Amino acid sequence: MEFLRPLSWEEALALRAGRPDAVPIQGGTDVMVEINFEVRRPGALLDLNPVRELAEWEMAEGRLRIGAGLPYTRLIEEVGDRVPGLAQAARTVGSPQIRNRGTVGGNLGAASPAGDCHPPLLAAGAQVEVESAAGGVRMIPAEEFYLGVKRTALRDDELIRAVWLRPAEGPQHFSKVGTRNAMVIAVCSFAIALHPAERRVGTGIGSAAPTPLRAAEAEEFLAGELAGEPAWGRSLPDGLAERFGELVGRAAAPIDDVRGTAAYRRHALAVMARRTLTWAWQDRLAGTGRS
Amino acid sequence: MDASIRLRVDGQWRTLDVDTRTTLLDALRERLGVTSPKKGCDHGQCGSCTVLLDGRRAVTCLALAVAHDGAEIVTAEGLADGEDLHPVQRAFLEQDGLQCGYCTPGQVCSAVGMLEEVKAGWPSQVTEDLAGPPELDDEEIRERMSGNLCRCGAYPNIVAAIRQGAR
Amino acid sequence: MTETIRARAMGRPLERLDGRDKVVGQAPYAYEQQVTDPLYLHPVQAVIARGRINAIDTADAESLPGVVTVLTHLNAPRLTGDGDGDDRELWVLQSDEVHFRGQFIGVVVAETSEIARHAADLVRVEYERWPHDVELSADRDDLYAPDKVNAGHDTDTDVGDVAAALADAPVVVDHTYRTPMEYNNPMEPHATVAVWDAGGLTMYDSTQGVHVVRQRLAPLFGLDPGHVRVVAPHVGGGFGSKGAPHAHNVLAGLAAQVTGGRPVKLAVTRQQMFSVVGHRTPTIQRIGLGAETDGRLTALVHEVVEHTSRIVEYAEQTAVVSRMMYAAPNRRTRHRLAALDVPVPFWMRAPGEAPGAFALEVAMDELAVACGLDPVELRIRNEPDVDPESGRPFSGRRMSECLREGARRFGWESRDPTPAARLRDGWLEGTGVAASVYPRIMQTGNRAWVRYGPDGRYEVGIGAVDIGTGTWTALTQIAADALEVPVEEVRLRIGDTDLPEAAVAGGSGGLSAWGSAVVGAARAFREKFGRHPSAGDEATGTAPESPAAEDFSMYSFGAQFAHVRVHADTGEIRVPRMLGVFTVGRVVNPRTARSQFVGAMTMGLSMALHEEAVLDPRFGHVVNHDLATYHIATHADVQDVDAIWLDEEDPRSNPMGIRGIGEIGIVGAAAAVANAVHHATGVRVRDLPITPDKLFH
Repeated sequence: MEFLRPLSWEEALALRAGRPDAVPIQGGTDVMVEINFEVRRPGALLDLNPVRELAEWEMAEGRLRIGAGLPYTRLIEEVGDRVPGLAQAARTVGSPQIRNRGTVGGNLGAASPAGDCHPPLLAAGAQVEVESAAGGVRMIPAEEFYLGVKRTALRDDELIRAVWLRPAEGPQHFSKVGTRNAMVIAVCSFAIALHPAERRVGTGIGSAAPTPLRAAEAEEFLAGELAGEPAWGRSLPDGLAERFGELVGRAAAPIDDVRGTAAYRRHALAVMARRTLTWAWQDRLAGTGRS
Repeated sequence: MDASIRLRVDGQWRTLDVDTRTTLLDALRERLGVTSPKKGCDHGQCGSCTVLLDGRRAVTCLALAVAHDGAEIVTAEGLADGEDLHPVQRAFLEQDGLQCGYCTPGQVCSAVGMLEEVKAGWPSQVTEDLAGPPELDDEEIRERMSGNLCRCGAYPNIVAAIRQGAR
Repeated sequence: MTETIRARAMGRPLERLDGRDKVVGQAPYAYEQQVTDPLYLHPVQAVIARGRINAIDTADAESLPGVVTVLTHLNAPRLTGDGDGDDRELWVLQSDEVHFRGQFIGVVVAETSEIARHAADLVRVEYERWPHDVELSADRDDLYAPDKVNAGHDTDTDVGDVAAALADAPVVVDHTYRTPMEYNNPMEPHATVAVWDAGGLTMYDSTQGVHVVRQRLAPLFGLDPGHVRVVAPHVGGGFGSKGAPHAHNVLAGLAAQVTGGRPVKLAVTRQQMFSVVGHRTPTIQRIGLGAETDGRLTALVHEVVEHTSRIVEYAEQTAVVSRMMYAAPNRRTRHRLAALDVPVPFWMRAPGEAPGAFALEVAMDELAVACGLDPVELRIRNEPDVDPESGRPFSGRRMSECLREGARRFGWESRDPTPAARLRDGWLEGTGVAASVYPRIMQTGNRAWVRYGPDGRYEVGIGAVDIGTGTWTALTQIAADALEVPVEEVRLRIGDTDLPEAAVAGGSGGLSAWGSAVVGAARAFREKFGRHPSAGDEATGTAPESPAAEDFSMYSFGAQFAHVRVHADTGEIRVPRMLGVFTVGRVVNPRTARSQFVGAMTMGLSMALHEEAVLDPRFGHVVNHDLATYHIATHADVQDVDAIWLDEEDPRSNPMGIRGIGEIGIVGAAAAVANAVHHATGVRVRDLPITPDKLFH
């Protein structure tokens, strides 16, 4: 197995172009599991750790650009207040040791349906910046990035450079149910982000379908019910959160597996959607979440 | 394919040749004879191989040795100063925070790394107030130590040891 | 009654003598033993559950630089014997047959572990697939009664007329309970380093008994036991799974024969452990209780269906707990097995009692509800005067005291029995109780020696092991008291077959067996050399006779209490508190003993809420074969777990007055949690683990 160590992003893209068989590795927390178990034996590993700019973040064009190599713990510490939903999810990824090494870029690249970062990225309307030497930069909306279990829109010659998302414009919450209290793969998870300026609520569902997904019908329902300025200044109408929860539960396409039944996943998603919407709305009325 | 790397392990610079597939854990255990970090799963899910890697706790089974040329590694062995145990190690003995001992060096390194993280103000999943410095109560310790499994079930004693060692 | 030794060191909470080495990581486990110029092994595993190997192509693997050889059934050294009985598990690389998925069918010997692993993946195998069957159910038509169940118990028992008693009983509870396939998962995966040279075979092994490994392996390799040495100074947990050698030991022994004396190292991976080092069978248990309206049992039926492997019969003694626990005049117990194409099941902490008490103690809770009785009181009402099974008196049965003391400490008297009646901040709260029991097991054939050293210390040798139980410390305390010297004057040596014969660390009987032999050796030494020996004086001894064992029924008992919170909307379960009160004879070291109780209770908590291996019937393998998906409790799951014990000694048991403590903590723990979940939610979950989805139907 060849070990490729580019020192710059340009070099990384050049190496990537020449070695479509190379597996990019950042924190290593996903890729190494597969290597240790001979699940895959790539011809080469492309170690992106020396590419310093990947482990940085910046504000650009009013948006936050989070480098694909920024470890979760730094993300939480340095930009957590601007992306609270993503930060909440990041605090539940694997174990603390994993969070010291693992990255959002790795979570995206692995594209496990249970990956914790996907729901908040979907809810926040994040974009994934990918690049290749030949094709240049592409900006892919998060919801178009996930194609299937461990399949993404990333092309063979592309690497993930960063994720872009606007600093939270309103309250955000992430919720996850597991069968253990910590270090647990989600039975299912849910993220919500209020977008008051657009009079819209963003959603993200994890671990309840082959890909992470938005609950489109639930989003449309809320946008319709909460149309108009006055609705956003008042308490939630009775029954609205429950109905929202039902629609979120219905949006999922879960299966029975080792971690839980499909029926339970729908139930838990409905509960989480109802709770997170209620919390977010309380935050909004109290002025505690950003809005 | 081999590569030559240097590691600073428990204060000593060591040079070694490694297969590009070799994990940091195997490099330590099999190439350098540093067996304080243990292999419990090779999967990042048990924490037995935890060391302080460039100052932060990390699982060495999910780190490639060749990607860590020049890294500074402190194992549980290096936390002790010769015969003098680190306060957390001393507390593990007094509170009986171990039984079979296999997860113990990883628990110890994880605890020491965790205490630094708290000192630096890092919040955890159970931290209520994200604005102030986290308070290290038992719930925080348990959440922050959950990357380290102990099948003997020494958890309550480990938490007690960390509480004691943190003072 | 045997003469007990005076407790001076015993009863003191000595810190672990091996603790310092362990907190820095310097205590060497099997794989860490320093050997010169080792080779590394990686097994090849079958990917079918039943069939025959038609062809096995090792050419690609062998051509990989660094590969020394690849052994398969075609070229491996032959084992000695007929490969029958329990040896069938160890009969690796001797035939082309595949009996379960994951079976070892080859092994790569290479210069590094990375090369060995890579090469194992390059071995190409063609199979003739035969239909396989791994699905346990209670209505199979091929269930059979084994001749005996584990630990030599009878398969079935019948006392009185159960059918009539159940028909006449005013209160009847009759349900089916299930426990899943579970895995021991000690933190140290099974590992062995083998050296085969002119002197024979040396094995550094992660085992619960060095002598049992030698006894089992020496004949297979055609060696005199004296030419097999097994060494295990430190062992990273076992919980039963290291109580006998498994196939990997044989694989290492075979490989070591073809390396010209170079040592070979084999570490079983966490994933491989789900195929080759034993597991607890799933159980399907019918419990039928008949009682008077005041709760007094008139009938107790415990019928168990469980699996075994087709190649080796292992029959978990799940129903034995119901033979002696309560004073029901009519009792029936049954064990039926389905022989399936599954890996070989084996001991896991409290085999029999752990799954059996889950069913019995949940059923007792159901009976308490049915009778409108407090579950503590129900159990006290059903306390027998003598052992219902043998008719012998108990050497000590302070079960009621355990229940009462636990109830007092747990604040039980203020408990409202109404289920699903305590909702606080979205969480439903409940408490539960269950009884615990574990037999006192005395293994025979142990010897020890005592030598007086030139440094004025007594060296005490026996081939015992410390798998985390505290043997290094507690056995030193026993030796000190047996010799009537301070612990500082004792230097213990264990973990080596060069030391005298010792029983396996199992059945909660290690310390009883080894300690008795040490007492025998100390007495022999003092008789021979008196109080003022000379350097080099040495005496060997065995355990003193214990005639009372014939006349008394000896068990340890306990009561477990659990407080749970269940989220009303999501069904997430938290366990803020568990308390166990035990009566176990003397406690040699309160510090390490408490750890063992708490640890076993924690394993019971884990059994209650987390553990379940899922077999895929299509392929015959465990789907969740790693620690990411086979959950065991972690820090965040375990809050206030505490254990106390009644102050006592049991002089009828052995010269230390101990009955053993390693397993009783898991017995009843899962039932206490399940009963508390019922109290919290009103939902009775009869199949483990209790996951949130089972609380919503």
